[in-house]
Amino acid sequence: MRSSNDFNWPVLFAWAALAVFGLTAIYSATQGPVARFLPEYIQNNFMRQSVWIGLSLVTLIAIQFTSPRTFQGVAYLFYGVTIILAIITIFVGIEVGGGRRWLSIFGMRLQVSEFLKFATVLAVANYLTHKRDMSANNIRTALITILLILIPAIIVILQNDTGTALVMIALIPVVLFWSGLPYGVSLIMISPAIIGYFSVIGLIYGVISALIIAVTVLFLQKSRWFSVSALILGLVVIVGTEVGLQHILKPHQKARVEAFVNPSLDPQGAGWNVLQATTAIGSGGLTGKGFTEGTQTQLRFLPEQWTDFIYCVIGEEFGFIGSSILVILYLFLFLRLMSMASSHKHPFAQLVIISVTFLYFTHFIINIGSATAMLPIMGVPLPFVSYGGSAFLANTIMLAVCLNLDLNKRSFSIYS
Amino acid sequence: MARRRNPEQTKMSIRILQGVIILGITILFARIFQLQIVDYEKYSPMSMQNSLRMEMVNPARGLILDRNGTILVDNQPIYSITITPANFDMAKLPLLSDLLGLDQEFVLARIQTAQEYSWQRTSRLFTEVPFEVFSIIQENLWQLPGIGHQVDSKRNYHPEMKASHIFGYLREASREEYQRSDRIRLGDKIGKSGLELVYEEHLRGKLGSEYVQVNAYGQALGPFNNGELDTAPQKGGDLITTIDTELQIMAEQLMENKSGALVAMDPNTGAILSMVSAPQYDITRLAGRMDLEYWAQINTDPKTPLFNRAISSRQPPGSTFKPFMALAGLEMGLFTENTVLNNPGYYQRGRRYGDLADPGRYDIEKSIAESSNYFFYWMMDQIATSGRLNTWANLMTDFGMGPLNGIDLPSERTGIIPDSTYLDQTFGVRRWSIGDIINLGIGQGLVSASPLQMAVAVSSIANGGYRVQPHLVNQIRYSSNDIRYTNPEKTKIEWIKEHQLSVVKSGMRQVVTEGSGRFYANLPDIEVAGKTGTAQNPHGLNHGWFIAFAPMDDPQIAIAVLTENSGYGSISAAPIAGLLIEKYFNGEISPTRNWIYEYVLNFKPRTENPAEEEVDAQLE
Repeated sequence: MRSSNDFNWPVLFAWAALAVFGLTAIYSATQGPVARFLPEYIQNNFMRQSVWIGLSLVTLIAIQFTSPRTFQGVAYLFYGVTIILAIITIFVGIEVGGGRRWLSIFGMRLQVSEFLKFATVLAVANYLTHKRDMSANNIRTALITILLILIPAIIVILQNDTGTALVMIALIPVVLFWSGLPYGVSLIMISPAIIGYFSVIGLIYGVISALIIAVTVLFLQKSRWFSVSALILGLVVIVGTEVGLQHILKPHQKARVEAFVNPSLDPQGAGWNVLQATTAIGSGGLTGKGFTEGTQTQLRFLPEQWTDFIYCVIGEEFGFIGSSILVILYLFLFLRLMSMASSHKHPFAQLVIISVTFLYFTHFIINIGSATAMLPIMGVPLPFVSYGGSAFLANTIMLAVCLNLDLNKRSFSIYS
Repeated sequence: MARRRNPEQTKMSIRILQGVIILGITILFARIFQLQIVDYEKYSPMSMQNSLRMEMVNPARGLILDRNGTILVDNQPIYSITITPANFDMAKLPLLSDLLGLDQEFVLARIQTAQEYSWQRTSRLFTEVPFEVFSIIQENLWQLPGIGHQVDSKRNYHPEMKASHIFGYLREASREEYQRSDRIRLGDKIGKSGLELVYEEHLRGKLGSEYVQVNAYGQALGPFNNGELDTAPQKGGDLITTIDTELQIMAEQLMENKSGALVAMDPNTGAILSMVSAPQYDITRLAGRMDLEYWAQINTDPKTPLFNRAISSRQPPGSTFKPFMALAGLEMGLFTENTVLNNPGYYQRGRRYGDLADPGRYDIEKSIAESSNYFFYWMMDQIATSGRLNTWANLMTDFGMGPLNGIDLPSERTGIIPDSTYLDQTFGVRRWSIGDIINLGIGQGLVSASPLQMAVAVSSIANGGYRVQPHLVNQIRYSSNDIRYTNPEKTKIEWIKEHQLSVVKSGMRQVVTEGSGRFYANLPDIEVAGKTGTAQNPHGLNHGWFIAFAPMDDPQIAIAVLTENSGYGSISAAPIAGLLIEKYFNGEISPTRNWIYEYVLNFKPRTENPAEEEVDAQLE
């Protein structure tokens, strides 16, 4: 049944290409002329990442020899274990920069939340497909699904990792939508994000977006009641955003949001990162300044340039051409995965692949959106490119599982 | 309710989700296109500015050299800490103070001063910090945004020469000067006196600029583009002065512990060989970071060391006035070389004007040689009687004794050759008497001149009747290798005639061989001509004068010495002039005259004026 012809080689190619892209950028950002400003443990990032990539490749291959049913079988167990580990991390994790996110296991530093994401995906997929008739149209099913995602998200917030939590929460509308939530209701679900985003930019934009959404909901659901609810929700979000900005956000978070709206207000302070990031990308131009030649990168104007701001390195040193190649690689990967999902008959596999794709996609949007000042800076790595062993391994495991499901789609296509 | 297993609907959901992905990526891609292609022109210069810093490079100040090319004033490095207030983080104040080892409030006060000057321009926060402090700051620059360091220079002087009044000192530019000129930055030193002031524009040079690549912490990482955009600073022009170093050093030694001044010049060109005003101040203590205590001290010192007596003091020339009187009298036709007057020992005109010379018959030559007053009282009497005071004043002014001579030093002062206007102003119109005029004949009373003016005047006797332009700088050598000569010209004083000059010169020669100058100024191998003088000082001890030139037949040096409060010029000023002339021609003081050298070094003026004086107008 299985042959190497069934294996989705192009996806593996995209994985490898992104990994090479990442290694190149990490090398430039830590081993280039900038190295003299960096402590030695950061200069070692390139070597460490290479090791992690090798380890990930081995894992990827090993996973291909696993039965696809295993993932369904271990889903809840995996979910339970990672949640417990994540809770433990809150108390005994290694503290770095104000958050406890790393757990030391056998001398390896693991970021549990990276694996928690995948555990959540498996658990949700398992739950939503364990019976033939499961649908998010059922309130109880929808609520349990939301709870399955919110619990790990809250734990991650307690680890002070809002970015990762946001990526998880973004999964809620995706899985519910797949699972049969009507279009109008799905739109209402994601409307707070859209309206909130525009409210931050400007009150008037928030109101306009709320109105447009209300009208669209009316059109999709043919229900006045839904539409009015959508409008009321929109207005609540607008008021909530304003109140939240003024009273609830911590000063450093507020400063970040303000810096996003107008970076030149405080160019030396909160606006610094935004300005330096856009300057790095913009000054790259068409062809870029060349490998290890970026002044913004090599003169250390960028913070976290091997993780959250790694796209700035690529944009500055490889220019628009390099950026295009990167974006096209992602687009290729995402669309390949989506068509993989679409051709799969088994709903569990389908939902896992879609969830994994959207996890990548949300990371990608938030990371590059932050770097290009489209979004407030949220501190999320770029999948397969940013430095980070746990993230690379976890992302690869997710991809490996998708590949495995795809490889076995014929044998796995019938309900047990 | 359970209707989602419709494969068509699932396909549709997936298609919509794909659409979301494509839409999201398209928006981001458009944003990247906007940043990198549309706005490239905006961001490229921003990243350039980000990583580049323009730094001003101070030019080396021009050197000052003596007539033979020996360096008298050069530059020595000192270390400064700078600040750009706009970039400074006040939270770093404790760290900065700590590293500097200074009080926080003191550092804050300096920072505020810098802020008041400019937020954007870089100012010096502290100058002349010890090298160790400089190194510590340099190592910690990365955590001190807005703080910089630079190597400046301070003036370094010839170890044996003071010449404080010639060179002058530098001080930090005032706020007004700083704001007036783009070429001056806070903390820049500019010349405030002496040659440093007069030739400031030439010595200063041109600021250079350097583009330095910096990182996010403001650390300089090296030149940008291999320095192709940099402009090198242009070193200031070097002043080649007319100073004779050996002569100047000895002149300063001889004037040590005295009050007074001397000027020695080449009578043929007006080139100043030596100029001393005593007491001097220690110019090295004003170089670099100024010693404020010392500055206050020399400013309040009653001996006024900052005052350049050589060009600014006004003293009656006393009997040194007589050779010039003789030339004016001959020109005015009041007498000839052959006129002989009978001197009874005093001159009677309403009252008796005293004369210390022996009674007897005097012509003009003998009157100079023996410094007899009679002839000159008589001459002034005739001038006053015939109402030709202004003619006389014009002739005397031609010697350079009244007006400014335009030497290249600041604060030169005029002397006084009284004409009728001056007397009207001083005493009231026509309220002055014959006595006021008769006293002028022997260089007392209202007449006054500076040592510089007397040197210029005696030069015109030495050089055959030319008025010279005294000057200290002969040429300026610019870094571009251009040389500018000052080329001061001498002008013939038309009315002076050779045969009249020879009488006066002969009289001055006799002063040295037989008269009041014979003790100390008569050199065995050099023919010196001179004239002693004593200026009456109503406020204390009289001042001694000596003017001289040598050698007689081809004068190479003219000299005027004023020693304040030291009594007769013949015993105070004349030995100094004699020694300097000997030094100038022979390069050393002969052993047989070494006692004179010792005598001058240990010279103690008498504590009161003698009862009888060389000149005594009060004698009746």
